[in-house]
Amino acid sequence: MNSQITRFFQWTAFVTAYVALDWASYLHALHGFNITPWNPSLALGLVCSLRYGRLTAIPWLLALLLGEIVVRDLPAPILITIALSATLVAGYSTIAELLRRLVNTENILPDQKNLLLWLAVVIVGTLITSSLYISLLLVFDLLPTGDGIVALERFWIGDCVGIIVTMPFLWMLFQHRNRIYDILFRWETTGYGILAVIMLCVAFGLGGNGEFQYFYLLFIPIVWAAARQGMAGAAVAAFVLQAGIMAAVQWLNLVAVTAFELQMLGAVLAFVGLFIGVVIDEKQRLSAELRQTLRLVAAGEMAGALAHELNQPLTALSAYGMACEQLLEQGETGERLRETIRRMISESFRAADVVRRLRDFFRTGATQLEAVNLGELLASASAPFINKAQQQGVSLTIDTSSACTILADRLQLEVVFRNLLSNAFDAVADQPSGPRKIHISTHSASKKNICIYIKDSGLGLSGEKAGRLFEAFQSSKSSGLGLGLAISRAIVEAHGGQLLAEMTNHGLFKLTLPIAEKDEYAI
Amino acid sequence: MQSSGYSIFIVEDDQSVRDALGLLLGLKGYPVTLFADAESFLNAYGQEWCGCLLIDIRMPKMDGLALQKRLLEIGCRIPVIIMTGHGDVVSAREAFRSQAVDFLEKPIDHTKLMKAIEEAFIRQTDVQSKENQRTKIDHLLGKLTPREKEVMELVVEGQHNREIAETLSISARTVEVHKARMMMKLQVESIPDLIRLCLVGYGKN
Repeated sequence: MNSQITRFFQWTAFVTAYVALDWASYLHALHGFNITPWNPSLALGLVCSLRYGRLTAIPWLLALLLGEIVVRDLPAPILITIALSATLVAGYSTIAELLRRLVNTENILPDQKNLLLWLAVVIVGTLITSSLYISLLLVFDLLPTGDGIVALERFWIGDCVGIIVTMPFLWMLFQHRNRIYDILFRWETTGYGILAVIMLCVAFGLGGNGEFQYFYLLFIPIVWAAARQGMAGAAVAAFVLQAGIMAAVQWLNLVAVTAFELQMLGAVLAFVGLFIGVVIDEKQRLSAELRQTLRLVAAGEMAGALAHELNQPLTALSAYGMACEQLLEQGETGERLRETIRRMISESFRAADVVRRLRDFFRTGATQLEAVNLGELLASASAPFINKAQQQGVSLTIDTSSACTILADRLQLEVVFRNLLSNAFDAVADQPSGPRKIHISTHSASKKNICIYIKDSGLGLSGEKAGRLFEAFQSSKSSGLGLGLAISRAIVEAHGGQLLAEMTNHGLFKLTLPIAEKDEYAI
Repeated sequence: MQSSGYSIFIVEDDQSVRDALGLLLGLKGYPVTLFADAESFLNAYGQEWCGCLLIDIRMPKMDGLALQKRLLEIGCRIPVIIMTGHGDVVSAREAFRSQAVDFLEKPIDHTKLMKAIEEAFIRQTDVQSKENQRTKIDHLLGKLTPREKEVMELVVEGQHNREIAETLSISARTVEVHKARMMMKLQVESIPDLIRLCLVGYGKN
């Protein structure tokens, strides 16, 4: 019962909206039929059909009939009007059906293939539907025979353009409202909105008297929108520009022929925008996937580290266990056995310690990015070293003058800094003479990146060592795994940054991280 | 098996693993010597050492595989068992190319370890008995006069007394005397025994 009421309201709303759009776009009609330069209502029908299923055909037919009666005062006898409307609905429903089967309707036009398929279905589908409709008009003698071709051209282009320009916008509005909301309240959206209005004024104000030689200026706002905000931006911009063009056409009272030419231009404009939008979306998706992969690589390194570092205590544990067995076999139950068991316990603690140290990595699972103040991060990562520095007579200085906010997984980056710092401490400990110094400083490398230098007064790197430095299990130290730098690099790369060791006469690690940009939250 | 005089030398940088393995093998009745790194082993190494070497791959400075190669270079013939926490094909291949007895992954399966040690000892015995034999034969061969040696070589080539006499331009009678003396010095009873001895003694040629 409830679902029927819901459906009734949905249908009423659909019919109302459809007729309203029909009325608003009923301009420059040919012979009193709905042969107009722009049929956006059609896009609404298609989107609803995709969203709510094939039954949408029923209210669609009602809406078409109502449009004929209310908007156009019934230009043909009622029975013929019903037949004409039924033909149109059948044609449009077929287009919807084809889209449902051929195009990914879940994620709106996710890639170039889907975009081109969608375009092909729309162009061919509207051509066939228009041909049928115009043939019927000719058969019923409602159109002068000579006007057939012109009518077909206008009807087809009007439908086609209506769908291409309006459908992505409505589609998103119905299925991914968040994507539209996300971009609507940004300064950038306002920016290209204002630019669009200015460009419309220039195109129609200055070049309005005939050739529209400034029409190409309209490409600027749509390319801006598509390049920055992908499909969603392109869809919004295309819709806004189209509405602007139609308003200008109405306001300047342009003749119908010019209006059709403008329509074609508008369609190309929208298509360029959508294409750029799709490419941008694809690129962003790829880079997000790449980051995910890098995160997995980091997790893999950590798992490898865990396995490797656990092997030592496990080897010792099992050997001690066997030794205990041997001792018991030999009848030894005294101090030697107790001592061996004590060592077993301490080995198990060592294993637990390995797990505890590496659990840091796993606790967050994948890298979780949040806005982090770099200065605070450096301070908290180096806090455990301050005591150590005092004890060993190392001067540890941190200069965070150009620190900024970065997008980072705090825990993982702390691990990286701790790793680099503990390397630096080892390096200065091996230093033969001179004052021992470790210096951390931040430098803004460019607008997008911040560079962090970790410099120590140790001996620095030889060429051969630098080459293998970041490989797993390559260690120059007796303790540890040789995984620290490999993991650090994997983590930094998962953050979209870089970790480099410089070959100098002292130790120097350069870490580049991207600065947080507001736009990147969306990814 | 003459493993009585054999010890196990463990070269492992991790103190607990070294200690645990040392304790276990010590309790099994083997004399065990422990080394924390490759250098201290090389410094202490003596020609007379025999038994089996248990080497960890990953060690600071000189790693296990490098130590293995170094030992081959200096002519150390103690069989080597390689241990690793991170077993990969490349290092396993390298270890076996340097004549490792076995390549064990940590945590170590002790049955495999015991088997590997046994095999290493068998190999060591083999090496030693061959070496002993060779020194003994070298010693015996050293007792021969140059003429006796010449005669021996021709006998081994399969020549008869008369042919030898012709080659060396001496009488057949003298050849017979040399031959008898040579066989007595080498402590062999028959020509086949002599040939066998020469095969071992001159194996390297």
